[in-house]
Amino acid sequence: MKAVGARLPRYDGVAHVTGRTTFVDDVRVPGTLWVKALRSPAHNADIKRLDTSKAEAMEGVHAIITWQDVPLLEYGHLSALGIPADEPLLAKDEVRYKGQPIAVVAAEDETKAQLAVEAIELDLEEKPALFDVRKAFDSDAPVVHQWGNWYTHFEDEMDRRQIRKGSIQEAFDKADVIVQGVYRPAAIEHVPLETQVCQVVPEADGRLTIYSCTQALYFSMGVVAAHLQVPLNRLKFVGGTVGGGFGGKVDTATETMCSLLALKSGKPIKWRWTREEEFLCSSTRAPWHMEIADAVTKDGWILGRKMLTLHDSGAYSRFSPYGLTKHSFHHTGAYTIPNLEFDGYVVYTNRVPTTAMRGFGVTSVSFAVETHMNRIAKELGLDPFEIRLKNANRIGDTSPNGIVYTDPSTVPTILAVADELGHELPADYRTMSSEKREGELLPEHLVGQLGNPEDH
Amino acid sequence: MAIHKGRGISAIEYPTGMNQNGDPSQAWIKMKPDGRVDVFSGTADIGNGSKTIQSQIVADTLGVPYDWVTYDNSNTDSSPVCTGTFASRATFVAGMAVKKAAENARTKLLEIAGKELEIDPADLEVADGEVVAKGAPQKKISVADVAVAATWTHGELITGTGAHLNPYAPIVDSETGRVELPPHAAISYAACAAEVEVDDETGNVRVTRLVQCFDVGTAINPTLVEGQIEGGAVQGLGLGVLENCYPYYPSVEHRGGQFGSYLAPGMEDLPQVDTIIIENPSAGGPYGAKGIGEMANNPQPPAIAAAVYDAIGVWVTELPITPERVLRALEAKAEPRREGKVVIFDEELSVNSVSNGGMRFEVPA
Repeated sequence: MKAVGARLPRYDGVAHVTGRTTFVDDVRVPGTLWVKALRSPAHNADIKRLDTSKAEAMEGVHAIITWQDVPLLEYGHLSALGIPADEPLLAKDEVRYKGQPIAVVAAEDETKAQLAVEAIELDLEEKPALFDVRKAFDSDAPVVHQWGNWYTHFEDEMDRRQIRKGSIQEAFDKADVIVQGVYRPAAIEHVPLETQVCQVVPEADGRLTIYSCTQALYFSMGVVAAHLQVPLNRLKFVGGTVGGGFGGKVDTATETMCSLLALKSGKPIKWRWTREEEFLCSSTRAPWHMEIADAVTKDGWILGRKMLTLHDSGAYSRFSPYGLTKHSFHHTGAYTIPNLEFDGYVVYTNRVPTTAMRGFGVTSVSFAVETHMNRIAKELGLDPFEIRLKNANRIGDTSPNGIVYTDPSTVPTILAVADELGHELPADYRTMSSEKREGELLPEHLVGQLGNPEDH
Repeated sequence: MAIHKGRGISAIEYPTGMNQNGDPSQAWIKMKPDGRVDVFSGTADIGNGSKTIQSQIVADTLGVPYDWVTYDNSNTDSSPVCTGTFASRATFVAGMAVKKAAENARTKLLEIAGKELEIDPADLEVADGEVVAKGAPQKKISVADVAVAATWTHGELITGTGAHLNPYAPIVDSETGRVELPPHAAISYAACAAEVEVDDETGNVRVTRLVQCFDVGTAINPTLVEGQIEGGAVQGLGLGVLENCYPYYPSVEHRGGQFGSYLAPGMEDLPQVDTIIIENPSAGGPYGAKGIGEMANNPQPPAIAAAVYDAIGVWVTELPITPERVLRALEAKAEPRREGKVVIFDEELSVNSVSNGGMRFEVPA
C-alpha cells in the first residue's frame, strides 16, 4: 500500500489527544529554579539607574542577570541575509517598548522570583513615544531607533524596498479609471495554547540541555550559541514537539536568558510565561498600512499598480525586513500586472516588536490587493470572478521581480469555487486555463512582460 | 433593523519555502536489523503534521510499510540541521531532505540485496517491504532479510543521508527588486468565497460559510492538508472579524491581556467550511507537493470584507471588521472622492491626511 496520498492518522495524534505527549512544560527536573522578569513599565525611556543588589540578597534568590551578563548582547537573527543586529537581549541604556525585559531572576519558586523582581531598583526617564507609522517620517516625530524611524539597510543601503517594472506613468496615462484605497489589517497575537516556556539543565560534563518550544531547533541553537559565544557542541536542544507556534516561536524568547541563569547559578532553570505575558509582551503579527492606486481599463484590465506599504515593526527589526521583502514580491497577488511602482518601509514604533506569523508579509498584502480587486470590479460594474480570471497569472507571465510563472493555478482555483457556488460564467471564462496568453487574453500591455518558462 | 446576507470572493497565491531560499534541511536514516527504519530529522512539528508527512515520504521512497518507520526529531545531538518549521517549508524542503536520505538508504539496501540474490542492484526494485528482481518477480527477498544479512553476514549498516537546499536568490537590483533565480521553491494558489450575515442594528458580522479551493501540488496526506486548510480558515476568520491586539490602533491603550479581553475564534464562531483540493504538482517538491500551511489563513479576510460590502454596501478596510467599525461605516456611508478619472477611497486613513508632510502617496491624475 502506498503511504503517499493515504489518509493516515497523525503520527502523534493519539498521544496529543490523550494527554501523553511530553511538551516542555511536562519536563520535571528536581532542584529547578523558577524565573521571573523585570520588564519595562514605559513605552520609551532612558534607564538612569538599575540596581539588583537588594534583590540578590533576598532569601531563595540564586541568580539575577542583566545586560552585563551577556557575552554578546546584540545578535542579528538574520545577519546571513545582510540584516544587522539592533536589539539587545536585555535592555542596556534605554527601553523602547512596554514589557521589554531588563533583568531576569532565578529563585526557588515563582513567588520568590517575583518578589525579587519587585525589589530591583529601576529609575527611568520617560521620553516621547511614537505609535503611528504614518507620522514616523515627520520632522516633528520623536526619533525612536538608532537608525532613525525606519530601516535603512536594504541592499545598497537603501532605506526602502522598491519594486519597479514597466512604466507606471504610462499605465496611469492610458487608464480609463484610477482606483485608490487604503488597507490596514491589525496586529494579532499568535495565541498558542502553550505559552513561551523553557527548561535548561546544566549537565555534569559542562553542556547545557535546553528543552525548548522553538519552531526552529537549529536556528534557536545558533542564537543561543552566538549570545553565549560558545560552540554548538556545548548545547543540546531538546524539542521538536510544539504546543502551537504560528510563527511566534521562531523568536528565541526564553532559551538564551535561561541558559545564562543556568550557567550563573549552576542549577536547572525554568521559565514559563503567564498568559498575560504571552498576550502583552510576546511579539505579535505586524499591523500594516498599505495604499494602492491601480490604473485600470473600463473592460477590467489592470495596467499598473502604485503601492506604498508601511510595515509597523515595533521597537526592533527582528524579521521585519525579511517580511517586507516577501510582501513586495507578492504585491500583485495572483494576477499579472505589467507596470509597477512599489515602495515599502519597515517603520519603528514603541510597540512590542512584531514578528513572523502564518502568512508572514503576504497575509497583509492578500487582504489589501483582494479587497482592492473587489472594489475595482464594483466600480467598473464587472463580475468579480471574470476580472480575476482575465488578469490571472498564466504560464509565461512574469512576477513583480521578473520570474516566469511555470505552473500557476489562479484560473483553476477560481473556476472550482465558481462551480461549487453555482456561479454562472460566460463560456469564454468557463473554458479558461493557465496556458500561455494569446488572442484576446494577450492585449498589447501584456506583451512586453512575457518571459520564457523554460528559463525558470 | 435587519439581518443582511452577502457573499464575497478572493484569490491568492503564496510561495513555498523561505523568501529568496537559502534555507537548508538535512536528514539521515538507519535501518534496524529487522528492516525497521529510524528517521532523524530536525523539523519541529508545530501541529502541521510534519512527523506524519515525512514518515510517509520515507516509507514510499524506501519501499517499506508506513508502520515500519519511526521518526525522531527530538534533539540536536541526533538530528542534523533543519532551518525550521516556518515559511511553509516543512513538507517541501525538509520533505526533500528525508526523501533524498531514503533514496540513499535504498541504494545501500539494494546493494546488499544484490549480494544476497546474486543480481545486479540496478535490476532490483523495492516496494511494500520486498526487494524484487525487475521482470522476474519470483526472485525476491524481504527487506527484513536484507537487513539481517547486512548486520550479521556482511557487517554493513543500511543507512543514508540527505540534504536539500534551494539556492539563495539575491536581489540583483535594489532599484527594481529584480532577481535572477526563482526566490521560492514553488508557488501555490487558492480561491475563497465567504458568506456572511450582518446585523445592521448591532453591527455584528457572522461568517456562515467559507468555500475554499487550494492547489496543494500533491496531497501527501489529504486528511492533514484539509486540517491545515480548515484550521487556517478559522484563523483567517479571526483576522477578518475578531482579533486585534490594539483595538484602537495606533493607540497602545486597551490591550487585552487575557482570553476574556482578546477575542480569538471559538467553536460558536465556526462557519460551514467546504474545502476543494486540486493537485497541480510542483516540479521540485517531494512527489509534487507544495507548501500551503501558511496561506491557509490568507484568503478569508478579503472575501469577508467583500461579503460585508455585498450585504450592507459599505467597505470596511481596517481589520478586524468589528461591530463598532460596521456601525460607524453605516453611519458615515462614505462615498469615494471622484476627481477626473481618479476614484479615491479611504482618504481619512491615508498618510496624506495624517502625516505632517513627511510621507506622501502621490498619484498623478
